[in-house]
Amino acid sequence: MTATATGPVRAATTEGASRLRPNEIWRIVRLHAVNPSIFFGVPAMVLGGAWAITMVIALILLGSGVPMENTGFRYSWAVLSPQWYLIVVGVQAVSYTFPFALGFGATRRDYWLGTGLMFVLASVLYALAIATLLLIERATGGWGIGAGMFDALWYVGGDWATAFYSTFALQLLVLFIGAGVTTVFMRWRMKGMLTLAAGAMALILGVIALLTFTESWEPLGDWLGSIGVVGVFSLLLLTALAWAGAGFLVIRRATPR
Amino acid sequence: MDDSRPIFVQIAEQIENDIIDGAVAEDAAIPSINELAAFHRINPATALKGVNRLVEQGIVAKRRGVGMFVVPGARARLIERRRDEFAADYLRPLITEAAKLGIGIDELAGMLREERILS
Amino acid sequence: MTTTVARARGLVKRYGSFTAIDGIDLTLEEGRIYGLLGRNGAGKTTIMQLLTGQIFPNGGELEVFGRAPAEHAEVLRRLCFIAEAQRYPEDFTPAHVLTSAPWFFEHWDAAFAERLVADFRLPLKRRIKKLSRGQLSAVGVIVGLASRAPLTFFDEPYLGLDAVARQIFYDRLLEDYAEHPRTIVLSTHLIDEVANLLEHVILIDRGRILLDSDADDVRGSATTVAGPSTAVERFVADRPVIGREAIGGLASATIDGRLDRADRLRAAELGLELAPVSLQQLIVHLTGTELAGAPEKEVAA
Repeated sequence: MTATATGPVRAATTEGASRLRPNEIWRIVRLHAVNPSIFFGVPAMVLGGAWAITMVIALILLGSGVPMENTGFRYSWAVLSPQWYLIVVGVQAVSYTFPFALGFGATRRDYWLGTGLMFVLASVLYALAIATLLLIERATGGWGIGAGMFDALWYVGGDWATAFYSTFALQLLVLFIGAGVTTVFMRWRMKGMLTLAAGAMALILGVIALLTFTESWEPLGDWLGSIGVVGVFSLLLLTALAWAGAGFLVIRRATPR
Repeated sequence: MDDSRPIFVQIAEQIENDIIDGAVAEDAAIPSINELAAFHRINPATALKGVNRLVEQGIVAKRRGVGMFVVPGARARLIERRRDEFAADYLRPLITEAAKLGIGIDELAGMLREERILS
Repeated sequence: MTTTVARARGLVKRYGSFTAIDGIDLTLEEGRIYGLLGRNGAGKTTIMQLLTGQIFPNGGELEVFGRAPAEHAEVLRRLCFIAEAQRYPEDFTPAHVLTSAPWFFEHWDAAFAERLVADFRLPLKRRIKKLSRGQLSAVGVIVGLASRAPLTFFDEPYLGLDAVARQIFYDRLLEDYAEHPRTIVLSTHLIDEVANLLEHVILIDRGRILLDSDADDVRGSATTVAGPSTAVERFVADRPVIGREAIGGLASATIDGRLDRADRLRAAELGLELAPVSLQQLIVHLTGTELAGAPEKEVAA
């Protein structure tokens, strides 16, 4: 597929009517990856920074003689630290890279499919990294000093596959929310953003009200407990796919500034 | 290039001038369209239009695959035509301006002779 | 002989209650250099955004390479449009732009791009955000030239470029166009500098086309006559006047239409001075505020 770099994109002339244009979609993936610091460099640095801070805290605690079992590392959110940045990556993928790709003659459709593919590939990589680091942390007894950064939150007690799956679903959701919300801005500008915010608030309040009046909070908690970590993250994955689909519909008529 | 006339006319005139003062000999090639366009910083289509004007007048002719060449006898024909235009282009404005300044024809002729000696 | 690459009929683009493009008809032929001229805010960029499928029209017909441009890959792959206010991906450098360009432009000439980078002294590793206005313009110029797209748009390409860099742009454009003819649309409000490069000019004002004609037909199509008011008035009496100025007993009038030899002689006899009107001056007359009320009438001739 990387042949696009040199060879002319002949597929489009001969298969103009074809629904799928692999070259046109793959070049969008390459466009996102041409500056690898955006999708890979900075998240790795954020994660590395969080890891270093965790290590320093663990060393301080070690030095002060507090027993490690009571330090509460399993409630640390450090493993989630790249998420905030990745929301921004999702936003910028649409606010900056989308107008650029249009100037280079990409269609909105190919742009969104390529961007979605990039999100999937990036999420697979992050999930591989985090799930593997989790195993290393466990194998080294907390990096040799009993520190726990990855063995926290829902990762505690889970196996490699669960860690991979849950991280993948969360990454994909975060990226598609960032990109999806920005497509609304690219299509309807501020008016669209205000409508979206108002709609989201109304939806959240509505759900809270519904759950409260029907006294469904406990059954909901029980149900989430029954479907387990994999079940909950499957819900997140479905939500990510819903954002992906909605973003596709919105971006087809979106216009850069 | 001045703004008062179409550029292609001016291109044609410059080539004519080169032929008249012998810078481009008869039977010799004139610059290509792209060379003219690059030199004068003009659109190649404009340069082509200028050259085509000379083709229509039989001043230059195309030799297949080699370029444009000055037709033998072109210089004499150009000089003849320029002489016809000389009175209208140069003498009448000169006489009009001289009349405005009160310079008579005899005085003007004297000035012309003097100017020739000086230069 | 000529092939039409783009055609608009009654094209309309509205933003809320503001009509940016007000029912224009437009045809672009293959292998020509067009000047899209007009004042700031006249609608030049909007037309280019419509032609490149970046925005959607509200009315009329638009065909580029035979069909509506928006979302048609086989049309868009033949276009190149780097907008004056082009956005680039976060933290992009010119090197990233030039690396990815060949994936999108099948006729991309990397050696030509490299030569242009040297010509414009563009720092390849500096972030786009940190580039000067001129360097940013150079990025757009390099992509526009090296892409060799069959239909290339340059949107105010010279902003911030110094005189030397602008001359390099014009020279390279002409050289490369001669070797690889294609349709080029140059939007500009600095007309005199590019006037000689253009084969055809389209003048737009307030979303309408005021003038759509071969550059050679426009050049010398207007003349300014100056001298004593009475003589000027006598000379211009039965001619279309598109501009007038007067100081005391002296007047000058700009007339639309060519003067022949007899006209010039008569003007000289009346003691009038004739001055050619450059394309830029003509456009100032056509789009100037004093005549903005009835622009269509002036173009009719």
